[in-house]
Amino acid sequence: MAFNFNWSPLTADADFYERAQELLTTALNKSPKPPIIVDDILVNELNLGSVPPELEILEIGDLAEDRFRGIFKMCYSGDAFLTLKTRVQANPLNTYLFSKPSFTSPQPLAASSGLTIPLQITLSEIKLSAFIILVFSRQKGLTLVFRNDPLESLKVSSTFDSIPFVRNYLQKEIEMQLRTLMMDELPAIIHRLSLRLWCPEYRAKEEEEMAQAVKQEEEEVAVDPFSSPPQDAVDSRGNVLDASEISSLSLDGGSEIHSLFSQKNLLRLAALTDSHRTLSLFTPSIRDAVFRAWAGPSERSDSAGSSTPATPSLLRSNSSLGTSTTYTFSRGSDDGHGHLPSRPSLVSMHSATSGLGLGAGRHSRSHMRKKKTRVVNLRKPKTTDDLVSESGESETSSDAPASEPIMPTRIPEEPEDNIIDPPHSPQRVRFRESNADIASPQKARLAARPALSNILPEQSILDPSPSIEKSDPTVPIFSREHRPPFHSSPYPTEKVPATYTPAPILSSDPTAAGSILSQAWVLKMANEIARQAQDMNVKGAREGFWSQSQGEREDSPPPAYQAAM
Amino acid sequence: MLEFMDYIQHAFYNVSGWNYENSYSQLTATARALLDFETPRGLRLNLSSLSSPNFATSYAIGSVGLVDGSLSYLYTSLPLQTTSQSGKIDLHDVIHGYRQIQELRRPEESWMWEEWQTGKRTDKRDSLLYGRLYLPQSTLEALYLRRISPTQQLKLSAVSDGRLRNGGTILALHQYDTGKYSAETLYSTDGGLLGLRGLYNFGPDPRKEITEPPRTEDRFYGRFSAGAEMYYGSLNKSGGVSFGGRFATLPAHKGVPLTATLTLNPLMGNLSTTYTVKAGKNLALCSKFDFNVYSYESEVKLGCELWRMKTRIPKERERSIAAKLEWRLDPIEQNLAPEPEEVVGVLKARVDQNWKIGLLWEGRVKELLFTLGSSIDMKRKDQPFRAIGLEIQYSS
Repeated sequence: MAFNFNWSPLTADADFYERAQELLTTALNKSPKPPIIVDDILVNELNLGSVPPELEILEIGDLAEDRFRGIFKMCYSGDAFLTLKTRVQANPLNTYLFSKPSFTSPQPLAASSGLTIPLQITLSEIKLSAFIILVFSRQKGLTLVFRNDPLESLKVSSTFDSIPFVRNYLQKEIEMQLRTLMMDELPAIIHRLSLRLWCPEYRAKEEEEMAQAVKQEEEEVAVDPFSSPPQDAVDSRGNVLDASEISSLSLDGGSEIHSLFSQKNLLRLAALTDSHRTLSLFTPSIRDAVFRAWAGPSERSDSAGSSTPATPSLLRSNSSLGTSTTYTFSRGSDDGHGHLPSRPSLVSMHSATSGLGLGAGRHSRSHMRKKKTRVVNLRKPKTTDDLVSESGESETSSDAPASEPIMPTRIPEEPEDNIIDPPHSPQRVRFRESNADIASPQKARLAARPALSNILPEQSILDPSPSIEKSDPTVPIFSREHRPPFHSSPYPTEKVPATYTPAPILSSDPTAAGSILSQAWVLKMANEIARQAQDMNVKGAREGFWSQSQGEREDSPPPAYQAAM
Repeated sequence: MLEFMDYIQHAFYNVSGWNYENSYSQLTATARALLDFETPRGLRLNLSSLSSPNFATSYAIGSVGLVDGSLSYLYTSLPLQTTSQSGKIDLHDVIHGYRQIQELRRPEESWMWEEWQTGKRTDKRDSLLYGRLYLPQSTLEALYLRRISPTQQLKLSAVSDGRLRNGGTILALHQYDTGKYSAETLYSTDGGLLGLRGLYNFGPDPRKEITEPPRTEDRFYGRFSAGAEMYYGSLNKSGGVSFGGRFATLPAHKGVPLTATLTLNPLMGNLSTTYTVKAGKNLALCSKFDFNVYSYESEVKLGCELWRMKTRIPKERERSIAAKLEWRLDPIEQNLAPEPEEVVGVLKARVDQNWKIGLLWEGRVKELLFTLGSSIDMKRKDQPFRAIGLEIQYSS
């Protein structure tokens, strides 16, 4: 493996220097300046020099075409220099009085009168030595953090080099300022710079893609998938949201999804979440439903903790490992399913979506996947490929119990809108196959449980909070992944079979959890949804295939989310 | 407007016969009062009292961002018989405006302070103690003022604040004033600053008997004073020097009273001139011009103060009994002495070359003294009012 760091292209780009100067200038003037500096600090000249810093790779946590995470040891003693221009107060008595209380001030009459002098400072012979954590992703830009104080030494030469007092003072002050700049401001500057470099490009690409895929979705391009949790899209206050409002709020953006549920039930669920959130004692009654949230608030933390038990770095390595393994595994399973192409794409997509953010959701995801692989290994000898895949899936789903009930909600609706189903992700398809032999998977699951994790059955029951966490990351991922595959040829053929499967599989997961109550609730929800779906169908016929598909494609995560609530 | 404690402190100077103005640091006092007045910020309330001739208390509460306040106590060994009620205080004493330089007084001889009782000296030196605690900030100010002799005074001021380096600073100031000249030496623990200030008054020496009466028929009858100051920071090896001169007309001057000063900082090349005219009985105009010969930077400031006076309404006099008995009116008194006018308020305004305007309206409403001020920046059209404030004082 080799890394190619290009140092000279940076210097060749005149535009880069301009931007860097601009950003540095704003950064330098942000923090409060010492009283001796009476004007804005302007970056006059900036040159990165020709000698690149020496980088020693200590650790690489995550690596792909469009993302990178690693820890470096950096040593720099190059010929970069920086020239600053500002005006300083040359009267030491003036600066002396600046921060002193007026009560004990000697109150000089005119001895403290100011003399401001333009000053040019050149910082050169900068010697740096630091441990750097570098995180890069195409979507989130570049983040660079210093683990320690990077500044080893630097030479400050200024207009006042002949006066030792002033020179020493400047040296001291500038070193101090530069330290804060390096530790606090530089990461921000670099991040902004990288965003400018990559973000527009990324956006343009996205837009192009979107235009090809679905014209209707063009508005969504700009929407950041992570910034719009479906939570918000669901009307928590019971207000009627119009389609545009919802789509602006959430990536899935299909008002259709929401109309799948009755307004009344949504209101109740919203009230329920609110009551949990606000510690309100009022709990709205939902018929035929048992709130798993009552299992205890500790569950939340448990589940959340279990999903991210290791340190970030550890997790990262896990994730990379996990992705690779899933990739191979999926291949095997795909042979049976005939979903080969979709699998790899899925994996890569997951990785793509995880950017700088590397949120908890992502961690959990990667974690889950790892487990899955483990399970697969155990089960392979016993069961068929399908079964293996199923067990693996169930594992993941058990980790995210909340999502389970959501899936079942689909059941009734699917038979009705067959067309809609094709958009379902390959994952769904997998499920279905496993459903074929529901009895056996359950056994397999039971066996797998202990090996997978020490999660208690009760814990695996629906828990609202974990579902939220998990569903959040999944939403964007799904939408991302789907777009390209959606148009690809293999899908349409699969669509018809896929429709049926998702629902049963999902429902089977809850059973795996071992809770009859949840099933009952799921059924109830399913009925409710079925009713809505009928209405939807009527609407869908009117709106045409595209709108439906859009809704379908993205609805899978949100219902899960809502059901969890 | 002077705070109550400063007012009491000035009363102490007056009673103990100390000429506060005869110092180099007060050379440009007039211009400072007209141009560099502070505009209040937020709302501020002062409640003070001179509960006994020797003891004064003052409480202040203000709201700038958050509520803050201060408690201050003052003790003086010299009984002060000054008026302390805010309804009766002469506003000229608490509002500094154009300052009329007075004729130099002859300092008391040190033997005048001696008191003998049964062969022993019983006289004591007058001193003043003052402390102020700022509450949320936990800053403590302390002042010790002692009249060592009729010509000497020692002033120790200290600030204790955890945020300051070394937890606080102390400034020691020794003042020596003979009338003809005055000298001050100071030392500050902050940076080990040593300072020396001196002021010399040209003209007749007040210590000698004046043989000839002043020639007030001259075009200008005034006094020229010159002084210098020097500072040296013994710890940070920095220093500062300035020279200054002032010409001010004396009260006996028949023309328009004026004050002109020139200060010079040779190290920093700074030149500052002020010119103040008392254009009318209630109006004073001031201008200031700063120029730096090294950086060619200059600054202009203009200011004025306008005193609004109110004549006391003469009481309606009843016909006297004698007049009634004699079936006649009271004889009209011809030469009624004009009632002294009362100050209603003072308007101060200043503007500089950057169109920064400061406005201040000080006056009295009923028993309350108030200061209403605002600073305006005309260059910022969107938000010209930079600060606005009201300060209310009540004292008893």
